[in-house]
Amino acid sequence: MPTYLTIYLLPTLAEPLFHCSTKLYVNQLRVLLTKRLQKELLSLIKDPPPGVLVDSEKAEQNLSIWTIYMKGADETLFAGEEFQLQFKFSPKYPFDSPEVTFIGPNIPVHPHVYSNGHICLSILTEDWSPALSVQSVCLSIISMLSSCKEKKRPSDNAFYVKTCSKNPKKTKWWYHDDTV
Amino acid sequence: MGNCLKGSSAEDISLLRGSENGAETSDRLGPLPPPYREALPIFYPSPNVSRPVSQLTEEEQVKIAKRMGLIQHLPTGSYDGCKKNRECVICMMEFLIGDNVRYLPCMHIYHVKCVDDWLMRSFTCPSCMEPVDAALLTCYDSNN
Ligand SMILES: [Zn+2]
Ligand SMILES: [Zn+2]
Repeated sequence: MPTYLTIYLLPTLAEPLFHCSTKLYVNQLRVLLTKRLQKELLSLIKDPPPGVLVDSEKAEQNLSIWTIYMKGADETLFAGEEFQLQFKFSPKYPFDSPEVTFIGPNIPVHPHVYSNGHICLSILTEDWSPALSVQSVCLSIISMLSSCKEKKRPSDNAFYVKTCSKNPKKTKWWYHDDTV
Repeated sequence: MGNCLKGSSAEDISLLRGSENGAETSDRLGPLPPPYREALPIFYPSPNVSRPVSQLTEEEQVKIAKRMGLIQHLPTGSYDGCKKNRECVICMMEFLIGDNVRYLPCMHIYHVKCVDDWLMRSFTCPSCMEPVDAALLTCYDSNN
């Protein structure tokens, strides 16, 4: 790195940091979050991916927790099954990924889905980008289910379910298998 | 196969999570066994680091300053109605003529306000995931 860069930079350090911890910054984020979630909700209601349905009434009441119904795609191991997903958005969405889990009576039996509904999918943690959306997360989950060749739980399911945090985002997942 | 799990990452404490924190810390089941042990908190040299500057280590301060400086080096401009980039994918709003935008080396553009926040967390383009610093450094090299 060229040395002039560092010299030029250091004076800029203090001001933005202080500035950003103010209420103004928090409010800016809140406006971005609300506007974007409203847009996403609208487009998911109007133009959902096949087999996806959002509980729009619930989402309109509380924009930070959505319930999404998902059907297993035809001609896959999950054809005919119905699932429920829960999306929780932190105040830092879309900079932070949403917390996505399967909920309800039917948790898909899949090598990347734990019996408590936690999903091992890299875009939900380290590969998240603010260019992704609820819609693209749904599509990834559908494709993850569709490419499944054998219905079974992750090999460490029992141990994980006993010891994990309630929030799957606190799990440091180890994504070493993209083939399932 | 299936064993996608390595450990449990620690709480990322920030002022924005505030009230949520209290409830969430209590759902832990005591110390986690070795394969799920706590990782060090992920350091986001981000604008919403809640600690005052005086509590940041020197290394962190330098890291943040460097990142801010690199971001400042990325060109900005006002949106001229270019048809290739119509929408800022971070806020999902269409660009309006005159909006303050930042150009990344991959030629993706975003509102300055939207993308600067992201670049403090991850120095990659949200759309193509192209690392921004690699491209920047190549620029410097070819200029020198
Ligand atoms: Zn924007
Ligand atoms: Zn790009």
